[in-house]
Amino acid sequence: MAREFQRGHKARISDFTAGTDLYVGVRISAPEVTFDISCFGLDADEQLSDDRYFVFFNQPKTPEEAVQLLGPQAGDTESFRVTLDRIPPKIHKLSFTASIDGAGQMSQIAPGYIRVVAGGQEVARYSFEGTEFSTERAVMLGDFYLKDVWRFAAVGQGFDGGLDALLRNFGGEVAEEEPAAPPQPETGAVPGFAPPAEAAAPPPFAPPAAQAAPAMPSAPAPAPEPARDPAPSSEAPPPPAPAHPRPTVAAPLHTSPGTVPPPAPAPYGQPPTPPPGHGHQPPAPSAPLPPGYQPYAPQAPQAAQAPQAPTPPPFHDPQPPTTPPGHGQQPPAAPPGHGQQPPYGQVPGQAGPPGVPGVPGVLGAGAPSPYGVPQGAPQGGAGVTAALRAFRETPTGQRWTQQNAKLIRVDLGVAGDQPVLARQGSMVLYQGKVDFGYKGAGFAGRLVGNATGQEMQLMRCTGRGQVFLADEAAMLHPIELQGDAICVSAENVLAFDESLQYEVRRIDGHGIPGGALFTMQFQGTGTIVVKTHGTPVVLPVTPTTFADCNAVVAWSAASQVIVSSQVRMRRNAYPGDTGESVNLQFRGAPGNFIVVQPYEVQGSPS
Amino acid sequence: MNQPLAGFAPAPVTARMENHGDHMLKVALQTGNDLFARVGSMVAYEGFIQYEPNPPAVRQIARDWATGEGAPLMKCSGDGLLYLADYGADVVVINLDEDAISVNATNLLAFDAHLTWGVERVKGLAKFAGQGMWNTRISGQGWVALTSRGKPIVVDCGSGEDETYVDPDALVAWSPDLKVKGKRSFTAQSLIGRGSGEAYQMAFSGRGIVVVQPSEDSTDRLRVRG
Repeated sequence: MAREFQRGHKARISDFTAGTDLYVGVRISAPEVTFDISCFGLDADEQLSDDRYFVFFNQPKTPEEAVQLLGPQAGDTESFRVTLDRIPPKIHKLSFTASIDGAGQMSQIAPGYIRVVAGGQEVARYSFEGTEFSTERAVMLGDFYLKDVWRFAAVGQGFDGGLDALLRNFGGEVAEEEPAAPPQPETGAVPGFAPPAEAAAPPPFAPPAAQAAPAMPSAPAPAPEPARDPAPSSEAPPPPAPAHPRPTVAAPLHTSPGTVPPPAPAPYGQPPTPPPGHGHQPPAPSAPLPPGYQPYAPQAPQAAQAPQAPTPPPFHDPQPPTTPPGHGQQPPAAPPGHGQQPPYGQVPGQAGPPGVPGVPGVLGAGAPSPYGVPQGAPQGGAGVTAALRAFRETPTGQRWTQQNAKLIRVDLGVAGDQPVLARQGSMVLYQGKVDFGYKGAGFAGRLVGNATGQEMQLMRCTGRGQVFLADEAAMLHPIELQGDAICVSAENVLAFDESLQYEVRRIDGHGIPGGALFTMQFQGTGTIVVKTHGTPVVLPVTPTTFADCNAVVAWSAASQVIVSSQVRMRRNAYPGDTGESVNLQFRGAPGNFIVVQPYEVQGSPS
Repeated sequence: MNQPLAGFAPAPVTARMENHGDHMLKVALQTGNDLFARVGSMVAYEGFIQYEPNPPAVRQIARDWATGEGAPLMKCSGDGLLYLADYGADVVVINLDEDAISVNATNLLAFDAHLTWGVERVKGLAKFAGQGMWNTRISGQGWVALTSRGKPIVVDCGSGEDETYVDPDALVAWSPDLKVKGKRSFTAQSLIGRGSGEAYQMAFSGRGIVVVQPSEDSTDRLRVRG
C-alpha cells in the first residue's frame, strides 16, 4: 500500500520498504511545456561538490551507478533507479527536481507526483498540483536524505529561476568557492572526517530479506572507472518495472536505460559539450573539467574510497572499543541502542568505575555502555569552526542574498549606488562603510501613527558594505519586481530598494483595528523584502477569495480589495470581541494572488 | 496509534551532545562527567540525574552575573539522557577542540563542567548595561550548546578590513580573539531606532567569527519564568 506524503512529510525509507534498490518516478506535465527532471547528489553541506552526482539528461548516471536515469516509462515523465547502499558516503542527500524548459510556470502544471517503487510495488507517493505553486519555474519535489538512515522527504518547494537557479542553490557557486577549498584538507586532518559512523557500518540498512534486489555488480566500484562511456552501456540491469495501475500514458514500458533522452531542446546551447558555467559533465575521462571544478575532481575519488579501505578510517579514538554505534537498525549483535538495555549501567556492582565513561565492567568488550558516548568528534570535525560550518554566510554576487529563511543580506554598492530603505531596528549586523540615516516614513508614519499609535519608521542604508537584516525571527521573502506592482501590508515590509516607487494606500473599514489598514504599493524595478510570521500561503484570486485583514500580507496590485464584514469568523468567539470581524475580499483577473500568513496579530508587540 | 509520532523517537546516541530536531538538545550524561545547564532549560530526562542549582563552584565564578542574584546555571550529574530546550529556540551544538568561544549569557544553554570558563563583562559596553552584556568565555576540550532565536548566521570578520558591527540584541557568540568595543550610534543625525536601544552597536575587529541570530529579541525567557 503506497503511503501518501504531504508536503513537508518525512519518513525513514526503511519504514515503508525493506528494499534499498528503489525506483523513483516523477510525473509532471503541463500543456506545451517541457520539463527537465534531474537528481542532485549533495554533500553534507547541501552542496553539489561533485558535479558527477548531478544526474540529468546529459549525464544519466553517477560514476558508481547509484543513481541512474531511466527515462519515461510506466506513466512517469521521468524515472530513476536509486541504489541506496551504493551511494558513496560523501553524498548525504539526493534531491529530485523538475524545472521548466522554455516558457511557462509551475502553476500551470497538471496534477503530478513523485513516487517510490520497490520490488514492483509503489510504496510512497507525494502528489502535488499546480495550485500549490505560482510563478516558480523549478521545483524541488522530494529528497532522499541521510540522517542516521536514509529518509524520504516530500519537499514541493518552488524556485523562481529555472534549472540555473537550482544549480546555483546547490553550489553553482562552487567555482567561486575555490579559495575556500582549504577546509577540505583541514577536515581530513581532524579526527572525524568522512563520518566514520557511516563508513564503519555502511549497510545496516534494510536487510534485503525477501526482497533480493536485482542482481548487480556487488561492491560499489571503488573509484570512478576512468574509461566509461558517458552513455550508459546496456549491461545495466533492467529497471524494476513498476506495476502501475493507471493506463500507461507516455510510453509503453521500454527498458532503455541507455538512451539518453532526446537532445534536449535548448537552454543549454550545445548539449554534448556542457557549458562551462554548469560544468555537469559525463564522467568521460578525456573531457577536461572546467577549471572551477579542478580542485574537487582529484579529491572525489579519495573520498569515495576512504570508507571502503579495510583499515579503519583515520579516527583515533582514545577508547577503541567504542566505535560509535551505527545508526539506524543494527544487527542484533551490535551494541544495542539505549532502550533495550539494562538501565544506565546501574546494575549494582557492575557499573564501570565512575569517571571511566564508556568502559563498563561486564557488558562485554564490544558493547559500550548505553550512554557510553565516544568522546569522538562529531561528523565534520571538532572545533568551533567545524561546528558552525553549517551556518556560514552564503557567498554571493547578488544584491539581495537570502542567508536562511529568516535572515537576508543586502550588498550595498555592488549594483549602482542604490540605497536601501529598511525598517528601523532590523539591522542585526553590518560590515563595511555603511551609513544609516533616519528616514521618517512621512507617508505612513504620520497616518499610522495617528491611527494606531504605531509608527513605521525606516532607515536609509547607504554606502558600501553588507548589511544583514532580520526581524523577530520572521520569515523573509524577497520579491523581485520587474515593472509590476504589489501591495504589502505596511507591517510586513522589512526592506526595499529605494529605486522602487511606493505609495501608501489606506483601506478603511469599520472594525479594522485602528480604523484602517495601511498598505504600501510598490511599483517599478527592484526588490522588496516581505516578512511573515510562519510559512505563508499564496492563494490565487478567485471570485470568492477572502482573507482576514489581520493575516493578509500582500496581494498583487491588480486585484481589487473589498472590505466585507459579512462573513463572521471564529474571532467572534473571543471574549471582549465586538463581533465586528473584518474580512477583505479580493477580486481580480486570473493570475492575481494574495499572500496570507498564519498569524493574525500584526505589528511588533513594542 | 502513535504511528505518526514514531518518527520523533530519539535516535541512538552517537555523541555526548546532539540535536533532537532543531530546537532540542539531547545530552548523554555519565557519572564523573557533569554538565552545567541553564536553570529551567530541562524539558525531560531519562535515567538517574541529579540537579544542583547554583552550585558553589558556579557561584564563585559567576559571582556578579548580571543582577547578582546568582548564576542561572545548574549542575547536572548522573547517568542518563537529558533533554534541554529554551522556548523553541534553535540549538547549536559545538564541540570545542582546544579552542574557545565567547557566548552571550542568554544564549548559553549548556556546557561540559570540565571546560574552563569564566564570566566577563564586555569591555566598553558597561555603560549601555540595560540587559547586562555579560558573556561567558568557554575554552578547552568538550561540548557547548548555544541557543539562537531562528537559524543563526556566522560571519567571518577577517574577510573585510573594516570592523563588523553587530546589534547587541542579535549577538549570539563570537571568537574571543576579536577585539570588541561598544559603538554609540553612528552619526548625530542618524538616530537609528530612537529609544529602542538600537543606537548601540558592538564593533568587532580582528580575525574570527561572529554568530548572530535573526531576531533582536534577547529576552531571557528562562529567567523571566523565574
